[in-house]
Amino acid sequence: MSELGLRFTLSLIQIAVVVAIVIVTVLILTLAERKVLGWMQDRMGPMEVGPYGILQPFADAIKLFFKEDIVPAGANKFLFTAAPLLALIPAFIGFAVIPWGPDWTVEFNGIVIKPFVISDINIGILYILAFASLGAYGIILGGWASNSKYSLLGGLRSAAQVISYELNVGLAIIGVIILAGSLSLVKITNAQSGWFWHWYLFALPAPQVFAFVVYVISAVAETNRVPFDLPEAESELVAGFFTEYSGLRFAFFYLAEYANMILVSCIAAAMFLGGWNAPYPGTIFDLLGLPSLAWIENTMWFAAKTYFFLFLFFWLRATLPRLRYDQLMRFGWKVMLPIALANIVITSIAVYLFPNA
Amino acid sequence: MDKLKQWLKTITLYEILVGMKTTLAHLLHYKPITLQYPHEKRTLPENYRGMLALLRYDDGTEKCVGCDLCEAACPSRVIRVVSAEVPGEPTKRYAKEYYMDMTRCLFCGMCVDACPVDALGMTREFEWAVYDKRQLHLNKQQLLAIGDRSFPVREKRLELQHPNTAFFNVAFKHVPQKPA
Repeated sequence: MSELGLRFTLSLIQIAVVVAIVIVTVLILTLAERKVLGWMQDRMGPMEVGPYGILQPFADAIKLFFKEDIVPAGANKFLFTAAPLLALIPAFIGFAVIPWGPDWTVEFNGIVIKPFVISDINIGILYILAFASLGAYGIILGGWASNSKYSLLGGLRSAAQVISYELNVGLAIIGVIILAGSLSLVKITNAQSGWFWHWYLFALPAPQVFAFVVYVISAVAETNRVPFDLPEAESELVAGFFTEYSGLRFAFFYLAEYANMILVSCIAAAMFLGGWNAPYPGTIFDLLGLPSLAWIENTMWFAAKTYFFLFLFFWLRATLPRLRYDQLMRFGWKVMLPIALANIVITSIAVYLFPNA
Repeated sequence: MDKLKQWLKTITLYEILVGMKTTLAHLLHYKPITLQYPHEKRTLPENYRGMLALLRYDDGTEKCVGCDLCEAACPSRVIRVVSAEVPGEPTKRYAKEYYMDMTRCLFCGMCVDACPVDALGMTREFEWAVYDKRQLHLNKQQLLAIGDRSFPVREKRLELQHPNTAFFNVAFKHVPQKPA
C-alpha cells in the first residue's frame, strides 16, 4: 500500500471512530435529556421502551427512519434537501480538531499519526468557529425553503441570534488564545497541564472566569437551547425552522443540534477546563507504572468535563423560561459583548505586565 | 447599600443560581408523582362522576319511567328520551327509546339529580376512548348494560321499599327485561 493510501486509511479509521462516538453520545443525550428533565420536574421521563425506558433512543430512531418524507408544496426542493446537510456537516466537522486524549504520536509503517486528534491543524479553534458560522446557513435556508411563515420567522430569528452570539463566543475565547499564544487546541490543552489551577479558568496572570461565563451563556444561545430557544419556540412558532421537516431530514436537524451541543461542550472543556488533563499533575496510571494506559484516564477526564457541560445544558433547560427576543438581543450586544471586550483588554494588559507568570 | 446588593445579585446571576439549586434539589431527592397509567391506576374518590348508566330493580325491570326530566336538566343536550305508554296500562309510562350522545356529555351529574326514580347513575368507568366517535352514541340497551356491570347489587322494587314513594314511581315487569 502506498504511503498516501495508508495515511488515508488511518485517517478514515480515526474519523469513523470519532463519528461513531459522537453519534452514540447523541443517542445517550436524547434519553438523558428527557430523563434528567423528568427527574428535575418530579416526573419519570420515558419508561415504556425497555427497562426504565433505556431503549427509547432506538425507538425514536426507528420511528424517524420510517416516517414519510414530506416536501411541502411550493418548497424549493434543492434547498429544502440541502439545508439539513448544511446544518449537520458543520456540526460534525468541528470534531476533527478536538483533542480527546494525550498528545501522543504513534509511528505506523513510517507514518507518524496522533491517535487522539484527527488533525492537529495550527488554526484549530478558528476552523471550528468558521464552520459553526456555516451552520447558520442550514438553519436560515431550511426556514426559507420550507415555504411556511413559521419556518421563515424561525429561520430569521435563528440567523440573527446565531450571528450575534457567535461574536461573543469568538471574543470570549480570545483571552485563552492570548494566554496560550496559539490557536491549536492541542497546544492550548497541553499548556494547561499540571495542577488544576493551571487551567485557563483559574490560571494566572489573568483568570478567565468572566470569559468562561460569557462563553457558556453564548454557547447555550448559539446552539439554540433553552432559555435561548427562540428559533424553535414551540409555543410561538410551532417548531421554528424545522416545522415542515419530517422523517430523516428532521432527524438530521435533531442530530445537528445535539452534535453542536457536544462540540461547544468539548471546546469549553478543552479551552477553559484543561481538556484531557487531570486536575492533578500526571496520571494515576503513571504512578502505578502503567504509562501506556494513561490515555484511558485522560480520555475519561475529558469525557467527564464534557458531560458536565452537557448536564449544565439540561439543568438550565429544566430551570429557566424562555427570554423575549428584544431581551435576548439586548443581553447579547449590551451585556455579553462589553464583558468579552473588557476581558480581552484586561488579559492583554496582564499578559504584557507578567509575561512569565 | 440596597442598590449595591441588587447590583451584586444581578452580576453574579444570583436569582438563576437559586432556581438551579431548586431543580438540583429535586433531582437529588427524586420523588416522582407520576402514575404509570395503563400499568397502575389511581384510586378514584368516593363521589367520582364517571360514565352514565341506566339502572334496574333487583328483579330486572327498568327503573326509568320516561318522564323526560333528565333531558330537560341536561345542559349539553346529551339525552334524548322517547316516552311511551306501557301497553295495556294507560297510567304508566316508560322510555321506549333512550339515547345519550356521550361526545357532548360534561359529566355534571344534573340528570342524575333530576331523576325522580333514581333510574340514572354515574358509574366509576372512565376508560371510554374509542376510535370511532359514533361508538359514543349510546342507546338504551348499551346504557342498561353499563348499569348492569357497574351495579350488580340493585335496589328492591319500589312497592317493597319505603311506603312514601311517588305515585308514578312504579316499575313494570312486561317492558324490556334484562336479557337472561
